[in-house]
Amino acid sequence: MTNVGEAVPLSVSAAQPSARERIWYPYLLIAPSMLTLTVVSLIPFLYTVYLSVHAAKFGRVTDFVGADNYITLLTDARFWNSVGTAVIFVAIAVPIEFMLGLVGALILNQNVRGRSILIPLLFMPTMMAPIVVGLLWKIMLAGSWGLISYNVLERFHLIGQTSIFASSDLALYALIFVDIWQWTPFMMLAFFAGLQALPLGPYRAAAVDGANSVQVFFNITLPMLMPLLVVIGLLRFIDAFKVFDTVYILTGGGPGIATETPSILANKMTFEFWNIGEASALAVLVWIAFFAFCNVFYQIAKKRLNAF
Amino acid sequence: MSDEPKNPVAARGLIWTGVVIAYAVVMLFPIFWMAAMMVMPNDAMFARPTVWLFVPTLEHFDYVLNLGFSWNLLTSFVLCTVSTALVILIGTPAAYAFARFEMKLKDDLFLFILATRMAPPVCLVIPFYLIFAKLGLLDTFAGLTLAYMTFNLSFYVWVLRSFCRDLPVELEEAAELEGWSRIQIFRRVVFPLLRNGIVATAVLCFIFAWNEFLFAFMLGGETVQTLPVSIPKLITSQGVRWGEMAVVGIAALVPVLVAVFLLQRHIVRGLTLGAVKG
Repeated sequence: MTNVGEAVPLSVSAAQPSARERIWYPYLLIAPSMLTLTVVSLIPFLYTVYLSVHAAKFGRVTDFVGADNYITLLTDARFWNSVGTAVIFVAIAVPIEFMLGLVGALILNQNVRGRSILIPLLFMPTMMAPIVVGLLWKIMLAGSWGLISYNVLERFHLIGQTSIFASSDLALYALIFVDIWQWTPFMMLAFFAGLQALPLGPYRAAAVDGANSVQVFFNITLPMLMPLLVVIGLLRFIDAFKVFDTVYILTGGGPGIATETPSILANKMTFEFWNIGEASALAVLVWIAFFAFCNVFYQIAKKRLNAF
Repeated sequence: MSDEPKNPVAARGLIWTGVVIAYAVVMLFPIFWMAAMMVMPNDAMFARPTVWLFVPTLEHFDYVLNLGFSWNLLTSFVLCTVSTALVILIGTPAAYAFARFEMKLKDDLFLFILATRMAPPVCLVIPFYLIFAKLGLLDTFAGLTLAYMTFNLSFYVWVLRSFCRDLPVELEEAAELEGWSRIQIFRRVVFPLLRNGIVATAVLCFIFAWNEFLFAFMLGGETVQTLPVSIPKLITSQGVRWGEMAVVGIAALVPVLVAVFLLQRHIVRGLTLGAVKG
């Protein structure tokens, strides 16, 4: 037996893929991935939709109930509270992360030495497990003995001996603070990478014209960086809505429902109340919202940044 | 001519370096403190005012090791390695195909991959739990490996595609003219050029799996208990084992720290889903 492909390398027709092969070859390459992703995401999604229109409690799926679960959910004040909490969380955390990230990136873009050591260190909060981030701030902000609780919050009479996470007014802001700590490095280093990739030509021209640094920033840097700022901001915006691990370990949605986001509520509905039908309805709504966000992200990233 | 502006620029560079270092020290202080808590005796830990100097102790390490912590570590390691290896195997051809070939509905298929990546895990955990319960996949390596495919396979295909697009297509065309088969081209031309991209993306997948909490917590159990899941377990009825938590937290952090130093700016490219080349 001879291997045809290697035996006749000069015969072009034998080795070159036929037109038919050309057509099915890419589909063959993507088939395993698409099959796997169908099993792990499309089927679970369709199953969730199925659950959301059935009465399902304690893991037992019974009657078809139509839109009942959705109606119950949408008339539940607790659901709207969770949406409101997530909106406040994202609306405060993301813009602050964005601004701090931009300022940080501009500073890092100066003649800073030792970036190859500083950048990985700065990246730590973003790269460490979110559950460990939660643990870290549970320690720092623990009531009475927490390092920041005792030395900052109590000393300056900002809060009494209890943990800030026990205060229904302040717990959400503490979580926002933790999110800012965790994600500002990501914004900073993404923007920094964008700054590094900008062409030098316009800057030379501006230097010849004698433009000052403020003019350069607003007339050159910002417009050139804009598509990237939009895409990264959107990506962070989508991710911030999903926040779960840190909230789960720091407050679990409490005190009461003061820090309960849709993620935390869906999890409680499923694994504490075992109200699968309503939890599925919530999941479907969240899923559709995310798909819409995701589509916007894709279109903007593709058209404006030409990234994908 | 170049000497005159150089000195003020260099001096300002030093000042900004100082600013960045100061920022890093403040931001990373909580991590240093957690590292110190690994060897901090309990009476020093809960002292008011804060005790800065103490005699180190190894009692937290003893407790954690007696609790079967090395088993958690091994579980995490095996799970992350197996799931990442599978992702490389399944995802690499797909990433290459999306970068190189025309396909019907390519845009829609690609958007489906992105949507899978962005789907909130809390939504997926409900159907996973019920389906896994029926199939007997709860608390198994197979179940968690499958669940990790949702975020890691989609991420891998998406990001590696951006690496594939950087490869010069001419080499492949030349190889094709030479009469090489598709598999030969992939193995001898594409794979060697793509190796760095594959490693960088795969290491990120490993970190995501390593850090993952929700799936591991809800779909795992006594048999398959990863490192992050063992952290809330230290909130016991006799109180919270803070020192022990610090030990586990730092143990979870070390591999990530190593990976971040090795990968450097590939991380930016990965975390921005390829939007920034890094």
